[in-house]
Amino acid sequence: MRIAAGVDVGSTQTKAVIVGEDGGIRMLGYALVDTGANVQRAAENGFLAACRESGVEPEGVGYVVGTGYGRYKITFGNTQMTEISCHARGAHYLFPSTRTVIDMGGQDSKAISVGEHGEVLDFVMNDKCAAGTGRFLANAAEVLGIGLEEIGPLSLRARHPVKITTVCTVFVESDILSYLAQGKKPEDVLGGVHLAIARRTVSLARRVPIEPGITMTGGVSRNTGMVRALEEVLGAKMQVSQQAHFAGALGAGLFAIEKMGESFESGIWRASNATPRG
Amino acid sequence: MGETQASEYRGDIHRQQRDLMLRWYQRLEESAHGGPPAVSLMISGNCVELLEAFGAVPLYPEVNALQLAIRHQSLDPILAAEELGYAADNCAYVKADIGALVKGITPTGTELPVPKLVLCNFVGCNTYVKWFEHAAEFQNAPLAMLDVPFLRTAEPRAEDVAYIVCQLKEIVKQLEELTGRRFDYDRFREAVRCSARVEEAWSRIKHLARRTPTPFDAYFDAITLMGPLYVYRGSPEGVEFFELALRELQEKAERGEGIYDQERFRVVMEGPPPYPFFRTFRDMFAAWKATAVASTYSTVGGLWEFGFRHDPDHPFESLAMHMLAHNVTNRNYLQRYDQIRRYVEEWDADAVVIHFVKSCRLFSAGQGDMRGYFTQQLGVPTLYVESDLEDPRYFSEAQIRNRMDAFFEALEHARSTGTLHRGVAAIRHAPGGEIAPAASDRLKILQ
Ligand code: SF4
Repeated sequence: MRIAAGVDVGSTQTKAVIVGEDGGIRMLGYALVDTGANVQRAAENGFLAACRESGVEPEGVGYVVGTGYGRYKITFGNTQMTEISCHARGAHYLFPSTRTVIDMGGQDSKAISVGEHGEVLDFVMNDKCAAGTGRFLANAAEVLGIGLEEIGPLSLRARHPVKITTVCTVFVESDILSYLAQGKKPEDVLGGVHLAIARRTVSLARRVPIEPGITMTGGVSRNTGMVRALEEVLGAKMQVSQQAHFAGALGAGLFAIEKMGESFESGIWRASNATPRG
Repeated sequence: MGETQASEYRGDIHRQQRDLMLRWYQRLEESAHGGPPAVSLMISGNCVELLEAFGAVPLYPEVNALQLAIRHQSLDPILAAEELGYAADNCAYVKADIGALVKGITPTGTELPVPKLVLCNFVGCNTYVKWFEHAAEFQNAPLAMLDVPFLRTAEPRAEDVAYIVCQLKEIVKQLEELTGRRFDYDRFREAVRCSARVEEAWSRIKHLARRTPTPFDAYFDAITLMGPLYVYRGSPEGVEFFELALRELQEKAERGEGIYDQERFRVVMEGPPPYPFFRTFRDMFAAWKATAVASTYSTVGGLWEFGFRHDPDHPFESLAMHMLAHNVTNRNYLQRYDQIRRYVEEWDADAVVIHFVKSCRLFSAGQGDMRGYFTQQLGVPTLYVESDLEDPRYFSEAQIRNRMDAFFEALEHARSTGTLHRGVAAIRHAPGGEIAPAASDRLKILQ
């Protein structure tokens, strides 16, 4: 079996996926670690954890493609590709009918128009500002004193979602506080926050434009409230996989298998090259 | 993605360009000490020929601003202007210029004169009006407004031409009074004649970029040539420089020399560059061996590659025509679409790259729709990136590089599957088999 890996070093989390080819292509295992301050270490830890999950030796991995913002910091990677190409490819693997990818991560949200083989036809991304990204949600959760995992489910209970007018990640705080002061329920506030982001993301996505076969990827896809809010604004159902969070790393792994070709002799991983521990 | 190659061509023209620009700053310094009179002017559709007739030196605040930015000196003056009360989203050129005036900063450290006249040739961008009002106030210099109506129709109307000619003649009188020099009509015609020769050479240079590979980058290298184009257009030095540049680039083209060992992508650029990160931005294209074959920004001062020339037999009228119709800033938006489309078709491009400038309303308003027009209606891959032309705070390298890499990854993939088209073939034909009509045909303007 030919084995390759994709490592997606994002702004908050690092994801790694091990992919094997043996007639067909399979995802052998995956892992997630916090990126933290040491990007290189995070990439290594993610990769090693994914190897353990898959039961393969790190030395047995023939080719590694790095993606995400930290991709150039991955010392054991053979090559790098952008997460735009990787998310498109990963989403297409998870759902071959994918024609539009909506990816929401910690710092970025993007919409990608995908061809029938998982290739990128067009894409748009949010600009420098963090409005409409995972960071906006994280801030809201913090102000409300509610865990990030809970805000999605709680927002689903909103009966009268409030109107959040700001798209600024910093100013949303004062909006939230003033709603709470008016006695609004946390779920209604959260319902409003989720809808505000969904509207912003969908108006961004409409520029690609949106074709049926919409797949959501990225860390925020685990937030059920966000998925619902997006579907409401889109007026359409989305495909969300259990592994949606790993779509970028998975895509990188698929590219790695492809690029590896028949050339694999020994893996690129050398324990001696690893960042000193301690 | 391969190794980043050196993307610059360094020939005689680069040395001469630098000398010419340094000489310009020297002349400005002389002007500050009783030398030739200086007159402030805007770049868009500028009427530098009129100044030549008086032996006056043009003082271009835009050139000063961009020189500050490219030398990584723009943030201090911008902050100084913000302290004065200019808002975060004011045009950063204005802030850099006003801040530099207030703090006495100049790009080369040489002194700049107080202009005899601040001549606001209002061509296309309405920020100019307020900018020059402020500049006149801060320098305690007289201000004149040269009001150029927007181009509403394909061809300018006779009344518009007459309106401008009349204003130009008034300015001649004002300049006579302010400089104490007589207007020399023969010298004026001579300047217009020089301009026509420079424009011919410049236009031919632009057309060299239609070859594959293009011998120069029609965005990054064209910008290098733009300084002399605006300062020296109406002078024999300008003629000499541009005819030399043409020869040099022509020889390069004949040798089949491009910018890289292999030219992989040909793009059309829209929007001004991020001057504070000029090099970094250029390297992002070099990493993919992508070259600009045409750019709208290089037509701000004048659009000559489609045939227009100044005319020494009708000097005033040709100045008016230039200001009205033959520069990108005064043309309507859909004409800009058509200009870019012509570049894609006739300059054999694969794609369009739009650099959105946060603080520039003139260039940036509507660029989101422009992207939609090219990708969705014409089927031309179009990338959109954002930063600023002057303010370094808006450039986020990782994000821009990411978009750039993703874009070229997609183009590379499309090429490998035979779905990337170039030139006329890049423009998707309408479903009925007809070619999509020109965008500006849509515009219905009441006369
Ligand atoms: S707004 Fe744009 S065109 Fe107008 S002066 Fe500023 S940079 Fe120039």
